[in-house]
Amino acid sequence: MCDFSGKLVAWMDRELSDDEAADLEQHVRGCPDCLKNVDAYEQASRAFVAYCDAAMKKKTRRRLPHWVPLLSSAAAAAVLLVVFQPASVKQIPVRPQVADASPAIILETAPRAVKKGHRRHAIATMKTPNANWGMAEPTIQIAIPVEAMFPPGAIPEGITFLAELSMAVDGSVQGLRLQQ
Amino acid sequence: MSGDSLPLPLPLSGFAADSCEATTLYRELRKPLLRYLVGLGLSADEAQDVVQDAFLGLHMHLTSRGSQQNIRSWLFRVAHNGARNRQLSYYRRFGTPLDPDLESISEGATPEQVVLEKEKLRRVGKAIRLLTESERECLLLRAAGLRYREIGEVLEIPTSTVGDTVDRAIKKLAEKCNV
Repeated sequence: MCDFSGKLVAWMDRELSDDEAADLEQHVRGCPDCLKNVDAYEQASRAFVAYCDAAMKKKTRRRLPHWVPLLSSAAAAAVLLVVFQPASVKQIPVRPQVADASPAIILETAPRAVKKGHRRHAIATMKTPNANWGMAEPTIQIAIPVEAMFPPGAIPEGITFLAELSMAVDGSVQGLRLQQ
Repeated sequence: MSGDSLPLPLPLSGFAADSCEATTLYRELRKPLLRYLVGLGLSADEAQDVVQDAFLGLHMHLTSRGSQQNIRSWLFRVAHNGARNRQLSYYRRFGTPLDPDLESISEGATPEQVVLEKEKLRRVGKAIRLLTESERECLLLRAAGLRYREIGEVLEIPTSTVGDTVDRAIKKLAEKCNV
C-alpha cells in the first residue's frame, strides 16, 4: 500500500489543496494499484447513489387507487353480515342451474341499495369454493355505484364491472379481480 | 484538505431578491434534500413535510436578515434536525432505512441484466447496512453534492472527521461490494 492511498477519496472529491492534488495526480498516473483503487472507489460511489435512487423510487411509488379501500370496506361489511346474520336478512337458497356448478346463498337486505335497472353499477362478488350443499359458504353480491368507485367521467356510461375478491378470515382482501 | 465550499451568493437588496434566491435554492436543492431525508429513513410524505418546513424556515431566516453564510449547509442541517425529531422510535432510527424496490428494475433491460442488477443492489444494500450511522449520513450528504466542510456543519463534526469517515465508508463499500 503506497503513501497516497489515504488521500485518494479526498482527491476524487476535489477536497485536496491544489498542490496536494497535483502531486497525487502525478503519482496516480504511474501507480497501477492507486489507479485500480480509484476505479473501485468510483464504482462504489456510483453504486451507493444508484441504491439511494432505487430506494427513493420505491418510497415515492404510486399508491393504491382510492377505490380499493372502499371495496375492501364493502367486503369487510359483507363478512360481518355473514357472521352475525341479523334478523332482517333473508336467506334464499338458490339451486345451481348448471349441474356441476357450486350452489350459493345470496343474502339480500331490504331495501336494496340499487334500483332494478340501474344504468351503471358495479357488482362485487365474493366467491369461495363450495364442497357440498350442506356446508356451502355463501356468495354475496354487493352493488356499488360506479360513481362511488371512480371519478366522474372516468368510466363511459353503460359500462359495468364484475369484481371478484377473496377474503381472509380477518376480513382483509386477499385477491381482487375486476372484469368488464 | 481545503474544504472549499461552493458559495451561494445571496444579495441583501430586499425581500424580493431574497424570495427569488429562495426559489432558486428550492429548485436546486429540493430533490437532493428529499433523497437525503428518504435515505435517513423518512417516508416520502414525511420527507416532503420536512423539506417544506426547512424552506419555510429559510424564508423566515432570510426575511429576518439572518446570516447568509453557508445557506446550503444551513438548509441541510435544518432538514437533518427535522428528520431526527420525527425519528423517535428505535426501529425507525436504527432500522434499515434504505430499501430499494428490486422488482422495479426491468425497464429496458434483458432478463440477464435484471438479475445482475438485482444481485448488485442486494450486495450494495448488505454493505450499506454494515456502515455506521455516521458513515451512512456522510455518504448521503456527499451524494447530495455537499463538500466536506458543509457535511461537517450539518452533522456538527470537524471537517477532518468527515474526510476520515467518507474515506473509511467508501473503502468499506468497495471492499464489501467487490466492485
